[in-house]
Amino acid sequence: MTHLLRAEVRKLWTIWSTYVVFGIVVVIDLAFGFGLAYAPGGRRGGEAGIVPHGSSQWFVNIFSVLDNARLLALVLGVLIITGEYRHKTVTPTFLVEPRRGRVVTAKLGIGFGAGLVMGVLTMLAGLLLGYILVALKVHSCLSLGGVSQGMSQAVCASQPIAHHYFVANVHDMWHNWSQIAPGVVLGTGLFAIYGLGLGALLKNQIVAIVVGLIFTLVVETIVGAIWPTIGEYLPGQAATALEDATRTTLRGNNPLLPWWGGAIMLLVYGIALAFVGTFTTLRSDIT
Amino acid sequence: MPEGGWAPMATIQARGLTKRFGAAVVAVDHLDFDAIPGGVTGFLGPNGAGKTTTLRMLLGLVTPTSGTVLVDGHRYRDLPEPTKRIGAVLEASGFHPARTARQHLKVVATMAAIPFARVEECLELVGLAEAGDRKVGGFSMGMRQRLELARALLGKPDILVLDEPANGLDPQGIAWLRDFPRFYATETVAGSGGGRIVIVSSHLLSEAQLIVDDVIVLTAGRLAAQGRLVDLLAGSARAVRVRTPDADRLVQALQAANIPAALRDGYVVADGATPEQVAPVMVDNRIHVYEMVSSTESLESLFFSLTGGEPAMAGQPAAPMGDYRRFDQDATAPTVGAGSPPPSAAAWPPPAGAPRQDRP
Repeated sequence: MTHLLRAEVRKLWTIWSTYVVFGIVVVIDLAFGFGLAYAPGGRRGGEAGIVPHGSSQWFVNIFSVLDNARLLALVLGVLIITGEYRHKTVTPTFLVEPRRGRVVTAKLGIGFGAGLVMGVLTMLAGLLLGYILVALKVHSCLSLGGVSQGMSQAVCASQPIAHHYFVANVHDMWHNWSQIAPGVVLGTGLFAIYGLGLGALLKNQIVAIVVGLIFTLVVETIVGAIWPTIGEYLPGQAATALEDATRTTLRGNNPLLPWWGGAIMLLVYGIALAFVGTFTTLRSDIT
Repeated sequence: MPEGGWAPMATIQARGLTKRFGAAVVAVDHLDFDAIPGGVTGFLGPNGAGKTTTLRMLLGLVTPTSGTVLVDGHRYRDLPEPTKRIGAVLEASGFHPARTARQHLKVVATMAAIPFARVEECLELVGLAEAGDRKVGGFSMGMRQRLELARALLGKPDILVLDEPANGLDPQGIAWLRDFPRFYATETVAGSGGGRIVIVSSHLLSEAQLIVDDVIVLTAGRLAAQGRLVDLLAGSARAVRVRTPDADRLVQALQAANIPAALRDGYVVADGATPEQVAPVMVDNRIHVYEMVSSTESLESLFFSLTGGEPAMAGQPAAPMGDYRRFDQDATAPTVGAGSPPPSAAAWPPPAGAPRQDRP
C-alpha cells in the first residue's frame, strides 16, 4: 500500500492541473477576500446588513470566503480518479494493481492529504490577506449618520453624540482566523474525499464536477431552505458545521450539526460513494 | 521462486473463456488455448475476432462472462506482483499528456516497487533516453508505442504481450519488431526455467508470418487453429510455377507423369507438386527452363482457408490455391520457420552492451 500511496503522490505533482487547482484556490481567496473587505455591506449581515470596515465582524465576513476552498477540493478529488479514465492511464494503473479497491483506497488517502494541503494553503492565503488589511489600517466610523468608510479617528471623534471608531488590528484578525482555521482545513480535506467518491461513482470527469458543484451550490441551498433539518446532514452544511464549531455567525438561521457530526457525515459521504463506485462503476471492463 | 534459480516454466491456459457484451455480442466464445514458453505465439484473426478482448481478459482488465484464463494457474488479479510476471503493450493504454516520458515510467515503477534505475534502463532500451524529459503530449505514435514497450518491460516480465505492436511503428521499428519478440522469448534468463512467453496479436499476416513460431487463430471469437506455424503450413497446399518456351509440351509431359499441370498466363503451374517431382520431367523431355519457383502456402492463404474470410482488399476475390498472384507473394516471402538473423545484429534497439545506432 505504501507504494500505491507514493505513486499517487507522484501522479499529483507531475501534472500541471494540480498546480492550477491549488493556484485557483489562492487567487479566489485573495480576490474575493479583498472584494469583501471593501464591499459596502457585510456578506452575512451585521446590524442592518452593514458591517463597519476594520471591525471584528468585518474579519468574520472576509474569512468566510475561505470556505470556498472546499469546492476546489471537490474538483481535485474528482480529478484524481476521473483523470485516470480520461487519459486512459487507468490501464497501466490496473495492470500494476489489479485489485481496484486498493487503488481507490490509496487515492482516498492521498486525496484527503491533498485536500488538507489545500485547506492549509487557503488559510495561509487568508492570513496573508488579513495581515495586508491590518497593514493598510483599514478603518471606519460608526455614528448616528451611519457608517463612514475611511473617516479618520479625529473626524470620527468630532461626530455628534454616539460614535465608534474601528481600525483593522492584528488581534481581531488573528482571533477570527484561528477560530475557523482547523475547521476549514479539515472540511477541505474531507471535501476532497467526497469529490473522490463522486468521481469513483460517476467516472466521467465533467459529469462528476458538474454534479458535485450543482449539488453543493444549488440543490443543498434549496433543500436547506425548505427542510433545514435535512439540509444540516448534507455535505455543504456538514462542512459549515466544522468551521462554525465555536460561533453562530455563519450559520444564519439554519441548524447545524456539532463539528464532529459534520466531520463524520462528510467522511460517510465520501467513503460510501467510493465504496459503491468501486463495486459498480470501477468494476466495469477497461477496453 | 525456488532456490537455485530454477522456476517452473511460465504457462498461460485458457479454458472455456467466454465474453459477451450485452445480449447480442459474443466477443469470445468458449476459447481454449495454451501458450508455450520459448517461442513467439501469434494471436491472429481479423478485426473483431476477439483478440484484444482475450488479451484484456488475460490481463484482468476485462472480466470474462464465463471460463478462465490463468497465468501459472492463477488469475491475473491473484498474482502477487503481476508486472514482474507479465508485461503488456496495449493499444488503448494511455499517458497523461502533461507528464514526461520519464515521469510516466517513474509513476508506474513507484506503484510496482521497481527501482528507478530500471526506468533509465528501459528508456535506453527503447531509444527514448534523450526524449525522456519531454512531455508525452508531443510524442509521435511510434514514440508512444516505444514508451508503452518500456513500461511493459519495467518488471522484466517472463510473459510479454504485444497487442497489434506494428501499429504506428516507423520502418525501423517494424524491422526491430521482426527480431525482438523471438529474441526476448528465447533469451536465457536466470530463474525463468525455459524461456519466456511472447504473445503477439496481429491482423497483419505477412508481418506475423515473419515473427511467430506458434499460432492461435481466432475467428468470430472461436479458436480456428492452434499449433506450430511450420506444421500448419506443411499440411497445406504447395505448387510449382515454371516459365518456359515449351509450355504446351511441359504441360503434356507433366500430365503424362500424373502431375496435374495447367497453363496460366504464360506460366506452367503444377498444383500440389514439388520441384523434386517437376525437375526430372523437364530434364527427361529436354525442356528449357527460364525460371522455376516453388511455393508453400502462405500464412495468409492458410488463414483465409481457416476463417473462410476474404482477403483484406475489398472487391478482390480470394485467390485460388496455386494462382500466380500467390506465387509472386510467396517468391518474395522468406521461407517460414527459417532461422532469423541473430537478434543482436538487428535488435532495435540493440541489447544492452552493444553500441546503439544513432536514431533521429
